[in-house]
Amino acid sequence: MSSYLPGTASLIEEIDKKLLVVLRDGRTLIGFLRSIDQFANLVLHRTIERIHVGKKYGDIERGIFIIRGENVVLLGEVNTENEANPALIKVPIDEILEMQREEQVQKQQEEELKKKALKERGLHLTDHSILDDYC
Amino acid sequence: MLPLSLLRTAVNHPMLVELKNGETYNGHLVSCDNWMNINLREVICTSRDGDRFWRMPECYVRGSTIKYLRIPDEVIDMVKEDVMQKSKGRGEVRGRGGRGGRGRGKENKRMKIVEIRM
Repeated sequence: MSSYLPGTASLIEEIDKKLLVVLRDGRTLIGFLRSIDQFANLVLHRTIERIHVGKKYGDIERGIFIIRGENVVLLGEVNTENEANPALIKVPIDEILEMQREEQVQKQQEEELKKKALKERGLHLTDHSILDDYC
Repeated sequence: MLPLSLLRTAVNHPMLVELKNGETYNGHLVSCDNWMNINLREVICTSRDGDRFWRMPECYVRGSTIKYLRIPDEVIDMVKEDVMQKSKGRGEVRGRGGRGGRGRGKENKRMKIVEIRM
């Protein structure tokens, strides 16, 4: 990097590169960064959504995104050359979606069990659904 | 081209807006402003879990509640054409003017006016 630019201006270096963006809701998007502004709002072009479950992943084509900056957790360039990571296995969309559903159901069940166990010990977990608006 | 300018060029195009709470709104963009507040028409709202739907003729979304917007591919092509035309225009002015075209402000404007008269 030739010069350090404070704030979101440093993102100018990343323009037209292939970036991986993680959103606050946990989603992973990969696309070409075409534009930014002072709020770190992003324009992603030729975007795919990548879903990971364990060592498997699936890609869904999503096109152009205008992402509101506040929802971004992190972003970084992805290496296009050795993208084929042997540790990860690409599977069809249907398969990964099914795996994701199963994972969600399992997580929910675990949550319920945890809640129950804590309740028996006289502890009450706060209901996280009230935080839904900020997910 | 800034993200909000791109949004402005997407007026009258269909788009999908996802809010921070996970609800999605599909509709045609009527208008938007500098705060990303938007007006949509012919909207289909989808609940967070994706199994309930509502139709509404129009709706207004406050910018601060938006997670992201998805716009059709052709909008970027429109931008590309726009930029191409603009740079082409500038090139012509420079070429015929026979100057570097590095001038700024008043000087440059005057040059343009002269060329139009010619």
